[in-house]
Amino acid sequence: MVPLSSLLALAATVAAGPAPPDVDRLLARMDDLYRSRSSIARMEITVTTPRSVRTLRIRAWTRGEEEALVVVEAPPREAGTATLRVGENLWNWLPRIARTIRVPPSMMLGSWMGTDFTNDDLVKESSLRKDFVAKVDRRSAEPAGWWLTLEAKPGVVGRWARIELLVGDDELPIEERHRDRKGRLARTMRFDEVRPLGGRRIPSRMVLVPEGDPGKKTEMRYLEARFDVALPEDVFSLSRLERSR
Amino acid sequence: MAGSTLTLAWRNLWRNRRRTILALMAIGLSQALVLLFDGVLRGYGDWMVDVITGPMLGHVQVHADGWRKDRALDRTFPVDPPLRAIRGLPEVQSAHARIYAPALGAVGQEGFALLVVGVEPAAELGAHGLLSGADGVSPSGRRVLVGRSLAVANGLAVGSEVALVGQGADGSLANDLYVVAGIVETPVDLVNRMGVLMALDEAQGLLAMPGEAHELVLRAGDPGRSKALAAAVAALPELRGLEVLDWKRISPELVGLVQIVQVSWTFVLVLVFLAAAAGVANTMLMSTFERTHELGMLLALGAGPGRLVRLLVVEALALGLAGVLAGSALGGALVALAHETGVNLAELTGGGPSQISFAGLRFSLTFYPSLTAFDVVTSVLGVAVVSLLAALWPAVRVARLQPTAALRA
Amino acid sequence: MATAELTYAVRSIRRNVRRTFLSVLGIAIGCSLLLIVESFNRGKNELFARAGAESGTGHLRVTPAGWRVKRDPRMRLAAPEEALRRARALPGVAVAAPRIRAQALLAMGTHVVPVELTGVDPAAELLAYRYARKVTAGRWLDPGDAGTLAIGRAIADRLGVELGDELLATTVGRSGRIESAMLRVVGIVTTGSEELDLTVSHAPLADLERLTGLGGLGEVTLMLSDWRSFDAARAALQGRIGSGDEVLTWPELAPDFVGHMKQDTDTSRLVTAIILLVVLIGVASAQLASVLERRREFAVLSALGMHGVRLVRVVLAEGVALGLVGALGGLALGGPLAWLLAHRGVDFTRLLGRSYAFGGTVIDPIVYGDFGAWILPETFLVAVVATTLASLYPAWFAARSDPAQALRVAQ
Repeated sequence: MVPLSSLLALAATVAAGPAPPDVDRLLARMDDLYRSRSSIARMEITVTTPRSVRTLRIRAWTRGEEEALVVVEAPPREAGTATLRVGENLWNWLPRIARTIRVPPSMMLGSWMGTDFTNDDLVKESSLRKDFVAKVDRRSAEPAGWWLTLEAKPGVVGRWARIELLVGDDELPIEERHRDRKGRLARTMRFDEVRPLGGRRIPSRMVLVPEGDPGKKTEMRYLEARFDVALPEDVFSLSRLERSR
Repeated sequence: MAGSTLTLAWRNLWRNRRRTILALMAIGLSQALVLLFDGVLRGYGDWMVDVITGPMLGHVQVHADGWRKDRALDRTFPVDPPLRAIRGLPEVQSAHARIYAPALGAVGQEGFALLVVGVEPAAELGAHGLLSGADGVSPSGRRVLVGRSLAVANGLAVGSEVALVGQGADGSLANDLYVVAGIVETPVDLVNRMGVLMALDEAQGLLAMPGEAHELVLRAGDPGRSKALAAAVAALPELRGLEVLDWKRISPELVGLVQIVQVSWTFVLVLVFLAAAAGVANTMLMSTFERTHELGMLLALGAGPGRLVRLLVVEALALGLAGVLAGSALGGALVALAHETGVNLAELTGGGPSQISFAGLRFSLTFYPSLTAFDVVTSVLGVAVVSLLAALWPAVRVARLQPTAALRA
Repeated sequence: MATAELTYAVRSIRRNVRRTFLSVLGIAIGCSLLLIVESFNRGKNELFARAGAESGTGHLRVTPAGWRVKRDPRMRLAAPEEALRRARALPGVAVAAPRIRAQALLAMGTHVVPVELTGVDPAAELLAYRYARKVTAGRWLDPGDAGTLAIGRAIADRLGVELGDELLATTVGRSGRIESAMLRVVGIVTTGSEELDLTVSHAPLADLERLTGLGGLGEVTLMLSDWRSFDAARAALQGRIGSGDEVLTWPELAPDFVGHMKQDTDTSRLVTAIILLVVLIGVASAQLASVLERRREFAVLSALGMHGVRLVRVVLAEGVALGLVGALGGLALGGPLAWLLAHRGVDFTRLLGRSYAFGGTVIDPIVYGDFGAWILPETFLVAVVATTLASLYPAWFAARSDPAQALRVAQ
């Protein structure tokens, strides 16, 4: 029989609710959620505009922060198109015309592949932990989790002055609200469809909705992923790029 | 009384042929020159408008709502129904569609930024089209034309194969290989610096926008009625939801340019007129004063001062009108001649470029003087009045003199 | 010229006050009008030249060799300090403004505007760039500023920002890396044209250097005290700097504008020709009129022995004398007016309603006439030529007439 005191102690703990999390550790975890020394993944990206809906399925290899290879698998019209990034250089391989073209620096600014992500979203090494000062704002009952407020540290170069982050009790992100340098809500990112990916249990779907632009959103969904895998040396090379995948 | 004054005046004029001819010539030539200047001014103004609305702008443009603000590739609209409806309007001289798509081009591996311009070759080969300087070469299928500066900057020549990569209207990656069929110098600077001219249907295929385009360019039979045409087009049911604007609303800064030039030239026109008036007045004054002796004779012979003045007024009126009419005829003829042949400033001033570029446009320095009835009537009245007044004043003065004083002069 | 003819000519002029007065007045008015038109036309050209140069193009510019063709803002001067020093030391230079330019994106949240970011020396720019003086909110950049930005009103509107807001500036830096920096808006400029507002985004030089990762200078733009001296100044400066850098003149920097000005000059010449003809006709016919009425007088002279060539000389002498006096009259009449035109100018703003922007510049439609040494010779030349030509036919006519005939009937 369980002693009454233990029962009472247990009851007390339940009644009091979960303890506020260690913010610093949580941020470190957010930063590392999708990061790895290397990775291979298959993803689906859906761009919705008031005038169209377009879905790309891609396969992506990454190594560190400097190397990445993205090959389009679907739709068939664009299958085989690939983009290689090595350091500061960006090439496109176009199988239809069998050409490799280097993207000139001037064209690297702007949105990435027509999505709501900008190039510096993808290229910049942004770190929640390094660039922001976080504190717990309030508890959320449904979905269960904590709202954190992240204020950009002075001197940090970036678009967001403040990010409101909802982290679930499973220490996975649920929602991120980005506020611009004037404190206005600029966009909202939602994370869901948590499932095992590459040995981690992480949200496999991210939806980015810009504020004030009705009908526009970008969805990114991991179909499969492997992290910290060994990659052959020549993956990030032009010759590999030119071979149809 | 009036009858005899008229007869007398007529005889006077006829008898002193040299004096009459001189006055006629002075008035006539001055009038002719004022009209010539006016014609040049008007022709210049028309030419500026023509050039400005020429290849790129047209008189009226049609776009999807919001396209002018962000130039988004996917802001397209179907063009066949609107074009059919527009071509049915009598005031429309021509209407055709265009596509504008920023893209990446490459000959070897190095990419460079460019602008794909999809055009209807048949329509743009005309005098006001983008292909007017293309020597009859037009884009079709995989054969494209490249702006001269773009070609030079990137080593493109006729026959070069160039890859074009862009974003389709549905967001997909558009890419294909093309052959340079010709290198062109269009009247539009932007096209020369960055443009690749492609047949419209080919562009529609490449950019996944079948039957659609970004812009319709319309030319009116009468450029002065562009605004009315825009309103008429906007009222068509097939154009519902689209933005229809006349060229002045699209490029107000170019309106300003024309205005500044017009205003400053009109200032000069006033001065030219003053010079002409001064010349005519001078002649008439001189002439009348020099006749003091003769007029004194008439006074001495019993002609009343009032009669004398009337005589001189009639003479001056006759001279003025005859001179002005002759001058108008001459001026009109000169303007008509200049209109036929066109005035090429470069040739006239001896050398200099025959084509110049300004405000992103390139145009030839030939313009066509023209006159309106208003121009002629105002100058006729002006010069006639001046010659009349110029004869009147000395006439009055002389009439007041004592005959003996007059005879002594 | 024989004394007798000359004497007669002068006396004739002095005796017939009214005739002389009319002739001189006619010539004077004609000349003065010509003067004003010419002054106006020349002033019009200067208007466009000034507007173009002061909108940032400048009169001279030191650029990296090859920039003229490639126009790549990432190119840097071979010897920036040297170029700046030599430029400032060049006689006739009003100001030398060093600059760095970069294609960049300015962002606030998800709003993004592509601009050409220009790194400048705030003090020099105040003198070289007219829009630096058109700050309508906040202030222009200060020397010693860091991380500050002045932008055009249209840019501020598109981004939804005001004074004090921080923007993210992103550019492609050294060897293709994407670089970003925060810049704080300290001034908003209203140029009067949306197109031009979008070209105003200026920050301190040091910030651009850091952002692009490319040190040195992209250009040194010079404003001269006398804009017309640019060719001589270019030759002088090019000789003093190395061959790694090139000095370009304003016509080479903005061929668009030059084309328009050339065309305007050509048209002005046409205008001058027409007005010249008008004046000539006016003067000639007046002279003719006076001579025609003097048949008797000439007949008498002829009968007295002054006939043929000598009579011609009389008439011509009269003509030239009148021309000279008329020219003086023209200067007296037109000179002050041209001076007024040069100093007050003709302001078309009220007529047109506003200033106009095109081709990257704003033009205030005020024309300041030109007042220069050309006035004197031009006036005299026109007057004398006009009266001489005008006197030819009358002279010939006078010489030819048969005295007996002329004296017989008073016409």
